[in-house]
Amino acid sequence: MFNGFSHSVMGASHEKTGLVCQDSSAFKIGNGYAIAVVADGHGSKKHFRSHLGSKFAVEATIEAIDRFYEEREDLEANLPVNYKLIIKNIEKQIISNWNIRIEKHLEENPVTAEEKSKFKPEEFEAIPPESYYGSTLVAAVAGDGYTFGLQIGDGSLVAIFEDGKAVMPMEYNESAPANVTASICNSNAASMFSSFYAPNKRLIALFGSTDGLYTSFGSEFDFLDYHSIITSQLINLESFKQIIINNLTKRSHYGTEDDISLSCIYDEDLLNEKIGLLNKQVEDNKQRAAQRKAELLKKQVT
Amino acid sequence: MSNENMKDPALNANQSASPLDDFEPAETVASSSASNDNMLDFDDDPLSATGVSRKSLVIFFLIDTSGSMKGKKMGELNTVMEELIPEIRRVGEADTEVKVAVLTFSTEVRWMYSTPIPIEDFEWARLRASGVTSMGAAFKELNQRMSRNGFLNSPSLSFAPVIFLMTDGYPSDDYKEGLKELQSNSWYKFGLKAALGIGQEANDNILAEFTGSKDIVVHAYSGGQLAQMIKIIAVTSSQIGSKSMTLSDDTGREIGEEDVFAAKQKLLGQQIQDLVTSQTDGNDVPFDTGW
Repeated sequence: MFNGFSHSVMGASHEKTGLVCQDSSAFKIGNGYAIAVVADGHGSKKHFRSHLGSKFAVEATIEAIDRFYEEREDLEANLPVNYKLIIKNIEKQIISNWNIRIEKHLEENPVTAEEKSKFKPEEFEAIPPESYYGSTLVAAVAGDGYTFGLQIGDGSLVAIFEDGKAVMPMEYNESAPANVTASICNSNAASMFSSFYAPNKRLIALFGSTDGLYTSFGSEFDFLDYHSIITSQLINLESFKQIIINNLTKRSHYGTEDDISLSCIYDEDLLNEKIGLLNKQVEDNKQRAAQRKAELLKKQVT
Repeated sequence: MSNENMKDPALNANQSASPLDDFEPAETVASSSASNDNMLDFDDDPLSATGVSRKSLVIFFLIDTSGSMKGKKMGELNTVMEELIPEIRRVGEADTEVKVAVLTFSTEVRWMYSTPIPIEDFEWARLRASGVTSMGAAFKELNQRMSRNGFLNSPSLSFAPVIFLMTDGYPSDDYKEGLKELQSNSWYKFGLKAALGIGQEANDNILAEFTGSKDIVVHAYSGGQLAQMIKIIAVTSSQIGSKSMTLSDDTGREIGEEDVFAAKQKLLGQQIQDLVTSQTDGNDVPFDTGW
């Protein structure tokens, strides 16, 4: 039996500049599957409706994945062999759903004089309409003994499989300061997705987050340990949910001061079975963190 | 049966602004605003075991420890670097975590620590001089480590690095080959680069090849000047490097990140030249007297 939660908090930098939260997040528990999804609207000048773009991205994703699960037996029979093609088709369906939503929104809500006033006429003309709504997207799906995820733009996926270790199943490429974030609004968006498929592994918990969470950590170890701690507390989700929200709020007020979204889905039965292992993992992580710190401070030249 | 939970961004915005009541003073978070610290720390948060990080910046010091640096030059450099650490610490106090990585090069190249160290924890290890000047090997080593998979792996890394080269002589290896490799590194391209020539033998043209501009190459001919110049360059470049520059110009037009880095490098050149020309020579003895 799957369960989940999701939450988005606004970053301090957006509070200061009067922007609305650019992130959106959701989770869905379906029949035999669960979806976690987050999206981060770009928030810069030409993406002036990106808070809506991220909301549409989240809705478009759930709609697309639900559609594939309408024929769940066929889907699950084909996934082990044709996962690349199936995930690619889901990505295309998401882009299509998203474009339908923004076209409809734009038709019902044409660009206002105030929105246009921030550009010179020729500048405004040069912006493709879909860019008004530009957003990233991170989505993950858990099924019976398999997991897959897809992503366009920055953000993170963290999975905790039955061995209790937190891992990032997606491979991330080298990024440098001048790299441009891939976006669902790009004309070649369908070719810019990254994805993963993990068959034959029992999943305890799966998390998607926008980059505001990742950048609030000093090291990737801490980022992964954070997910281990949350997983160990999911057994009391109702009482722990407010603590997660408080912590996300704290993180969104420091560092890059960015919006933060976290969405999680988890298998309650496997969580209960593995809770001892998860608690031990959290304690081991603390010890390893202390060892890393001691190692870090050793001088190599004298 | 399905259970869907969609979040409305506007609702989330309101939630994050709601007053919360279980607070205690911050321990894991540093901020310029004490009131914010108190408002946002919670006493029942097992997640605080993983601290919240500020935006971070790495300063790379590339230091020539060849035999010609022996004596007064190396003694002065060790002393000024020890004094410098608290000054750099103050640069990052407000909202940036500054980390320091020191690469020494003589016959061999060696890192002082195995990874960049937060300035709060950094202790200078006094350096000794001997051997030849393998500057090209140092450039290659820097290129290898200056990567998301290497020394720049901190998630909170928000700024291009500051790279500060100090040398007193001519490279003994093929520095051009090493520099060519380094110049292909994106972090180098967008990093703030500065160089200090120590004594008469240091070649300003080589240093300008490293920085990309003569404006960011300065010279120290005496112990007093060395202390002044190291402090000027390290502190100024850290300040500019950790500055969040807006991605729009005065007219509100958006500018590219490349322009932001170019603007920072230009600003560094101007500030260093202004500060250098305002320094007095003093009466201390030049390095090259008796060397």
